[in-house]
Amino acid sequence: MLVPISWLREHVDLPEDAQTIADRLATLGFPVEEIIRRPRVTGVVVGKIVTLEKHPNADKLQVGSIDVGGERRLTIATAATNVAAGQTIAVATIGAKLPQITIGPRKMRGIDSEGMMISADELALPEAWFEDGIMQLDRDTPLGVDVTELFSLNDDVLDVEVTSNRVDAMAILGLARELAASYGVPLRLPSFENPATNADPTPPSVSIESPDCTRFVAQRFDGVTVAPAPAWMRIRLALCGQRPINNLVDISNYVMFETGQPLHFYDEAQVADRHLIVRDAHEGEKLTTLDDVERTLGPRDLVIADARRILGLAGLMGGAASEVRDSTHAIILEAANFNGARVRRMSAALALRTEASSRHEKSLAPVLADIGAARAAQLLVALGGNAYAPQLFGAQLTQAAPIELPRREVLRLLGLDLSTPQIARHLQLLGCEVAANGDVLHVVPPPWRRDLTISADLVEEVARMEGYDAIEAVEPAIPAHAIPSAQYDLEEQIATSLQGLAYHEIVTYALQGTTILNNVARSGLQPSHRIVEVLNPLTEEQRVLRWALGPGIFEYLAKLDRPYRVFELGHVFSLDDGVIREEPALAFGFSVEPADEPGWHDSNFLRLKGDCEALLRAVAGIEVETTADIRGGYHPGKSAVAMWQGREVAAFGKIDPRLSKAFDARLPLYMCNIYLDSIPEYQRPIYRAPSRFPSTYRDLAVVVNLDVEADRIASVVRTAIGELCTGVQVFDEYRGPQVGEGHKSIAVRATMQRYDTTITDEEADAAIARAIAALREDLGGTIRQ
Amino acid sequence: MDTGALNLSSLLDDLHRRFEAAVAQARDERALENVRVAFLGRNGEVTAVQRSIGKLPPAQRPTAGKVINEAVKNIEAQLAIAQSRLENRAFDTDLAQTIDVTFPSIAPATGTIHPIRRVLRDAALYFQRRGFAVVLGNEVEDDYKNFDALNIPPTHPAREGFDSFFITDTLLLRPHTSPMQIRTMQDYKPPVAIVAPGRCYRRDAVDARHLFQFNQIEGLLVAEGIHFGHLKGMLTGMCRELFGEDQLVRFRPSFFPFTEPSAEFDTTCPKCKGLADTCGMCGGSGWIELGGSGMVHPNVLREVGYDPDVYTGWAFGFGIERIGLARYEIDDIRRFVESDPDFLTQLA
Repeated sequence: MLVPISWLREHVDLPEDAQTIADRLATLGFPVEEIIRRPRVTGVVVGKIVTLEKHPNADKLQVGSIDVGGERRLTIATAATNVAAGQTIAVATIGAKLPQITIGPRKMRGIDSEGMMISADELALPEAWFEDGIMQLDRDTPLGVDVTELFSLNDDVLDVEVTSNRVDAMAILGLARELAASYGVPLRLPSFENPATNADPTPPSVSIESPDCTRFVAQRFDGVTVAPAPAWMRIRLALCGQRPINNLVDISNYVMFETGQPLHFYDEAQVADRHLIVRDAHEGEKLTTLDDVERTLGPRDLVIADARRILGLAGLMGGAASEVRDSTHAIILEAANFNGARVRRMSAALALRTEASSRHEKSLAPVLADIGAARAAQLLVALGGNAYAPQLFGAQLTQAAPIELPRREVLRLLGLDLSTPQIARHLQLLGCEVAANGDVLHVVPPPWRRDLTISADLVEEVARMEGYDAIEAVEPAIPAHAIPSAQYDLEEQIATSLQGLAYHEIVTYALQGTTILNNVARSGLQPSHRIVEVLNPLTEEQRVLRWALGPGIFEYLAKLDRPYRVFELGHVFSLDDGVIREEPALAFGFSVEPADEPGWHDSNFLRLKGDCEALLRAVAGIEVETTADIRGGYHPGKSAVAMWQGREVAAFGKIDPRLSKAFDARLPLYMCNIYLDSIPEYQRPIYRAPSRFPSTYRDLAVVVNLDVEADRIASVVRTAIGELCTGVQVFDEYRGPQVGEGHKSIAVRATMQRYDTTITDEEADAAIARAIAALREDLGGTIRQ
Repeated sequence: MDTGALNLSSLLDDLHRRFEAAVAQARDERALENVRVAFLGRNGEVTAVQRSIGKLPPAQRPTAGKVINEAVKNIEAQLAIAQSRLENRAFDTDLAQTIDVTFPSIAPATGTIHPIRRVLRDAALYFQRRGFAVVLGNEVEDDYKNFDALNIPPTHPAREGFDSFFITDTLLLRPHTSPMQIRTMQDYKPPVAIVAPGRCYRRDAVDARHLFQFNQIEGLLVAEGIHFGHLKGMLTGMCRELFGEDQLVRFRPSFFPFTEPSAEFDTTCPKCKGLADTCGMCGGSGWIELGGSGMVHPNVLREVGYDPDVYTGWAFGFGIERIGLARYEIDDIRRFVESDPDFLTQLA
C-alpha cells in the first residue's frame, strides 16, 4: 500500500527522516517494502495567466504574462496548447530545480522567457493521469505560493505491507493511529460528524435480504457537478498510486484511502424509486461492471440491485449502467459493511480484485460505514453539493465484549514483567477502553480492531508497543520428553555412509513432468506403481508425483553424460487401492564406462553389490543375502534383491538398457533402491575373540553346471566343514574349453581353525574331503585338479 | 721366537691383507656378506686356520688360539665398520632424493553431502544438542493438519497465501512444515520439543529466487513456563551457530493465524554484515528475512487437547534454501535442484 508520508503528517507529528518512520512502522508489524524517494523540486510557484498572446515569431509558441503574486509579472513562452488566460497553473521560476533540469533565463525566438509553465511530469507525477499539457490548479489557490510545499510533493512515499489481520491499518488514519500510539504523541483526527442536517424529503431506502450485509448507510446528494477534483486531492490520489477520474469517483477513493471504508456512488436517476436491495444474485443474471466486462452471476454472488436490475457487485465493483456520468447531478452514496468471507469467495470466483474487495474481504468494522459516509459528505459539501440526512440500515453498532487480561499473562507469554498500569497505558494508546480490577484488566478493544478477541491478542499489542527488542532473549531449559529421532538419524547415517562410499547427494524434483512418464513408456516398460497426479499444476512439468527415485536419477545421469556416482533420499508416492501411499526412499547408483569383460561377469554389478552390503552393514549392522530377481526397470540377468531375515531390504542391479536408452543415457546405469521402512534397527554385534591358534586353508576348483550359484557352493562347503570352518571365499570363476560347454569352474578358499588347539593337516584334509563329497552329492560338482 | 708362531703370524698377516682388500672392494651389503662368509664362514679361511690349531703341539695351542681369536675379533670389528659404512651410504643415497611436493595429489574417491542437508543438519544439530527430537513427516497432508487445526479455517484470508498443489479436494502437498506441529502434538502429550525438517511445495513460478519445491524446518517447544524470550534466545543461538558468533537477530511483529503473538525474524546480512549500502544479498537493508515464529495460538493447543492455561509454547518455521543462499552466497536458488557436480564439489 502506497502511503505518502505527508498525508500521515497531517494526522500525527513524525520525524523528518523517511527511514526512521519506516523502521518504526516495521517494529510495529508494518514492514516498509520500499521508500519511494521523491525528487527535491524547488522554485515552482502558483501563477495565474493574466494574458496570453501568440508569439510574434513562432506559430507554435504562445507568450503568457504570469502573475506569481509579486509586483512584476513574468513573461513566459510555452508550446503547450491547453493554456488560456485566467488559468491558475504551476510556474517554474528562474533558478527552479526540476527533476531533469534547472530553469535559467532563455530566449525563445527573440523573447526572453522568465521561467516555464510546467506539466505534472515535471513535478514527478504520472503524466498520463493529469492534463495533457500544463497542469491546472484551482482558481482560488493563492498566487506565489510554493507548489511543492503546498502539495507536500517533496515528502517521500512508503510502500507499506499490511498483514491480513489488520484491515484497520489499510488506511492513512489507521497507520497514523499506530504511529501516534507508538510515539506517544497526539493523533489529529478529522471530524466524523455527518454534515447533513436537512431531512431528506425523498430518502433512499434499502432492503437487506442477506445476512452477509451487516450495515448499509445510504445518503442522497444533489446539486452536484461532475468535474475534475481539486488539485490537492488529485495529487494525493496520484501519490497513493490511484489515477484521478472525476471529483465524485476521486472522493470515494480518497475516503477509502483515508478511512479504509470503500464507498460507491449511484447516479440517482438510474436507481428505480431510490430503493436499493442487497440480495443474492439469481442463477444466470448478468451485470456489466464498471470495467465493461459482462459477468454472469449466480446465488454465490451478493449484489446491490433495484427493483428492475442489478446495479453492482457487493464490495467488489459497481455496474456500468448506474455509474456517475458527466450529466449526473444527484447521487446516492453507499457505505456498506459486508461479510469478508463472502466477498473473498466472490472475488476469487469472478477473478476480480479491487481496492474495495481487498478491504471488504478482510471484514471491515461496521462503524466505518458511518465514518466513511460522513467524510464523503463533508467533501461533497465542500464542493458545493447538497447533502441530505444519511439513512441507516442493518444492525445497530455494538460494543465488543470486554477481554480479561491478567497481568501475569503478559509475563507468562512474553517473559516481560510489566506493571498493570504500564500494560493498561499501552492498550489505551491503541484505543482500548481499559478498566483495572486488581491485577486483572478488563479491556474493550476499539471497534475498528476486530482482530483483538482473546488475551493473547492483547499480549501481542503490549509487545508491539513495548517493542519486541525489549523482550530479553534467554535459552529455555528443555524438558525431558519421549519423542524419538530414529528416522532422521537413519537418514543422516545413510547420507554420511554413502558420502564415504564416494556417492554424491543430489536433489531432483519430486513433482515431475509427463516427459518422465513418456520416457518410461518409450522403453516399453510400465511404471511400477499407479501414479499420483496433481489436480492443479502450474505447468505440465509439475503433473505427476514420482513413484520411484530412479527416473529422476536416470535423467540426471543421462544429462551429465560422464561417469558419476549419486544418491538421493526422498519420498515416493503411489496409489494403492485409491489410497495415496507415501514412503521414504533411498536410491544410489552410478553411470560408468562399460567394462571389457564377458557377458557372464559384471564387475560394476559386484561393486554396486559391495556398496549395498557396506551401507546396510554400516547403518543397520546386518549382513544381507543376495538372490537373483527380476524387477521392472532392471536388466533381467543382472539384477537382484537383498534379503535379511526373510524381508527384502533392497533391489539393485544394472538398469535395463532399453530404459537407459529411453532416457538418452549413453553410459550403462547401475542402481540400488533401498526400502527405508524395511531397514531394521541397528543390530548390535557380539564380539568373539580370535583364536590363539594358527589357521590353515585349502583351495578348491569346483566344476558345476552353469545354473549353480557361487553362493550355493560356498554354503555347501561351509556346512560340510562344520564348526572348523572360519570362512569360505569364492575368488574366481572360469568358463571355457577346459571345463566344457554348460559348465563353469568356481574357485573357493576354505579357511579352518580351532579355538582349543592347532588344527592338524589331517583334520583339514578330512574336512575338505567332506566338502568335496558334499559338492558332488548336492550340486553334482567335480573337483578340477 | 719359534717358527710355528712366526708362521702363524705371517699367515694371519697375509690373510688380513687379503681381507682388507676384499672389504674395500665390497660395494654393497651382499658383497660384504660374501666377504664375511669367505673368511669367517664355515668353510672360511680364518675358520680353517682355527681348525689347524688342533694340529699344533699342545704347548703352543693356547698362544696360537689367543692370536687367532684376536684376528677374528679384529676382522669382525672391521666387518661391522664396513657394514655401517655401507648402510650410511644407502641412507645417504635415499636421503639425497627429492620430489616435487606440489605435484597433484592422488585423491581418494570421496562423495559429497548436498548443501541443503548440510544447512539442515547444522540447524537441527543446534536443537538436538539442547534436547530436541528431529522428526520427519509426510509431504502429502490433509487440509485439516495444514490449515484447520492451525487456526486457519476455510474462510480465513491467510489460507489464500498458501498457493498449494492439490491431489484431491482435501489432500494437498504441504505448503509448509507446520502440519508437523499438529502431528507431534496429536501423537505425544506435553512437553514436546521437536524440529521437523522437510520438503514443501507451493505453486510458484520457478526463477532465481523461487522454487515450487523447497525445504523448511519447523520448530515446536510446548511445556509449562515457555515464553517469547525463550523463542528469541534459541533462534538467536541458532543463527549464530549457522552464520557466526557476532550475528544479530531481529524480531518484528507479524501475523500468522497459528501463533499469537507472532513475529518474523531477520538476521544480520552474512555477506555485508549490514555495512554496505548496496548489497546483492540484502539489498542494502543489512538484514535478511529468515522466517516466521510466535507463541502457539491457544486455539491450536486446544485443538490437539493441550490446556492453554497450563501449557505455553513457541513455534517457528523457515526456509532452508534461503539460509543456504545466504550462507554460501549462492546466486540462484535453482542450483539446489540442478545438483551440478561442480556445485556439489565446491560446497562439499
